[in-house]
Amino acid sequence: MTPLLDVKNLRVTFDTETGPVEAVRGVSFSLGRERLGIVGESGSGKTMTGRSVLRLIRPPGRIAADVMRFDGQDLMKAGEREMRALRGKRIGMVMQDPKYSLNPVMNVGDQLTEGLRRRDGLGRKDARAKALAALEAVQIRDPERVMAAYPHELSGGMGQRVMIAMMLIPEPDLLIADEPTSALDVTVQAEVLSILDGLVKDRGMGLIFISHDLRLVSRFCDRVLVMYKGKVVEELAARDLMQARHPYTQGLLNCLPRIGGDRGPLPGLDRTGDWATEAVA
Amino acid sequence: MSLIEIEKLSVTFQAQGREVRAVQDVSFKVEARESYGLVGESGSGKSTILRAICGMAPVSAGAIRLDGQPLNAGRGFARQVQMVFQDPYASLHPRHTIDRTLSEPLAIHGIAESDRRVVKALTDVGLPASFRFRYPHQLSGGQRQRVAIARALMLEPKILLLDEPTSALDASVQAEVLNLLAALREERGLTFLMVSHDLAVIDHMCDRVLVMQHGRAVEELARADLANARMKTDYARSLFEASADRLLEANA
Repeated sequence: MTPLLDVKNLRVTFDTETGPVEAVRGVSFSLGRERLGIVGESGSGKTMTGRSVLRLIRPPGRIAADVMRFDGQDLMKAGEREMRALRGKRIGMVMQDPKYSLNPVMNVGDQLTEGLRRRDGLGRKDARAKALAALEAVQIRDPERVMAAYPHELSGGMGQRVMIAMMLIPEPDLLIADEPTSALDVTVQAEVLSILDGLVKDRGMGLIFISHDLRLVSRFCDRVLVMYKGKVVEELAARDLMQARHPYTQGLLNCLPRIGGDRGPLPGLDRTGDWATEAVA
Repeated sequence: MSLIEIEKLSVTFQAQGREVRAVQDVSFKVEARESYGLVGESGSGKSTILRAICGMAPVSAGAIRLDGQPLNAGRGFARQVQMVFQDPYASLHPRHTIDRTLSEPLAIHGIAESDRRVVKALTDVGLPASFRFRYPHQLSGGQRQRVAIARALMLEPKILLLDEPTSALDASVQAEVLNLLAALREERGLTFLMVSHDLAVIDHMCDRVLVMQHGRAVEELARADLANARMKTDYARSLFEASADRLLEANA
């Protein structure tokens, strides 16, 4: 079976005054209709990897890849027009923070129906019905009220659900979720994850889940890529995370406090090993 | 006598005829050199309690006592209690050098030897003295949070109020900052009142924890009760079970 998304040797370079800076340095992965987690610290290039798939890197950033293919279509050769046809409709993206990603001066209903009316040419009534259904799908209890609300009137969890609903209306084949739950409380987090989980199962959608939270990803995804300084240092099945071999992955796991732990100093992350110098070279 | 006593505290915000009761009838005590945690979801009122202690929230009922004395605003208070905020990107003045940020409390309180104290404060939090004349934007998030901790300690307070001090940081940087806080607490005999949404962080740092929901105290747990899942209320249990830390174990 050909994978939904195939990426080989992806590089993202930013030209700066002090010379080129490589944010992503030769990342390769492929994705079927499954949940792939990308984990790393800030600056590891995980967000840039996600954005590259949609070619959402602005100059002075440049994307290069040997292969970047989505469902048979070469994303590197696609024109801006073709990319626009893919974005949203076939590949959706949920951003991290609803505070910055929703339009603050437009109510939720208008934002949800904008795409339906412009892209799909639906009438006002049909678009509204579809938007309401999408809000119900992400378990918003009073969708009528939320439709009329402005983003600042919603809590973080609500805002995040609205963004997920918005991305799911066009029924994409692939959803890229960039830290979709890190602004949320743990209990709300669990709800949002189960919504995403249901969508992967019911619709057979592919999911790239970008997060800094190793524990969360291990529970939620099928496979995990661990990134450090723009490179994938380890790829493993999520259930094997506790048996991770790479010192960086182990370090990330060990530096987290545990309930009932011994309260001694937490082990720091040792970045001096051979792997670290190799990763930078 | 407890060092911090919160008795039947209520905080009510009033705006445009609407009342928001952010904290309702919350009581707890923190002993000297103890670390006490407040945990709950956003909007549960945990940060508001810290702000109330600093006089930055409208207390509508109840009392806050430090060392048995009612709160007195002003300079004396600043020498007793200091706060470290969540977001080190927002809590340092972007156009003040680290030197100016750290020496300002000394100037206000007329404390001499500013040079020596600033350098010592930096080295105490594990930063090189050469950082003194940098601006916040030249530092990483973890380094900034170290500066914020150094600033809080400039006046040698007994009590630190910590409002989600590591939630904006990467896991490895969080570990470093938590270790720093624990070492400083040991060295200086500090009392911590710490707010976090992460039960594992609270458990690592605190002796007792108060679980809050919708502005009310739900349950107080000693550390052993938390570790052994001996909670009485469903809400405290659901928080415990949703903690990412637990998820990993369930998975392993």
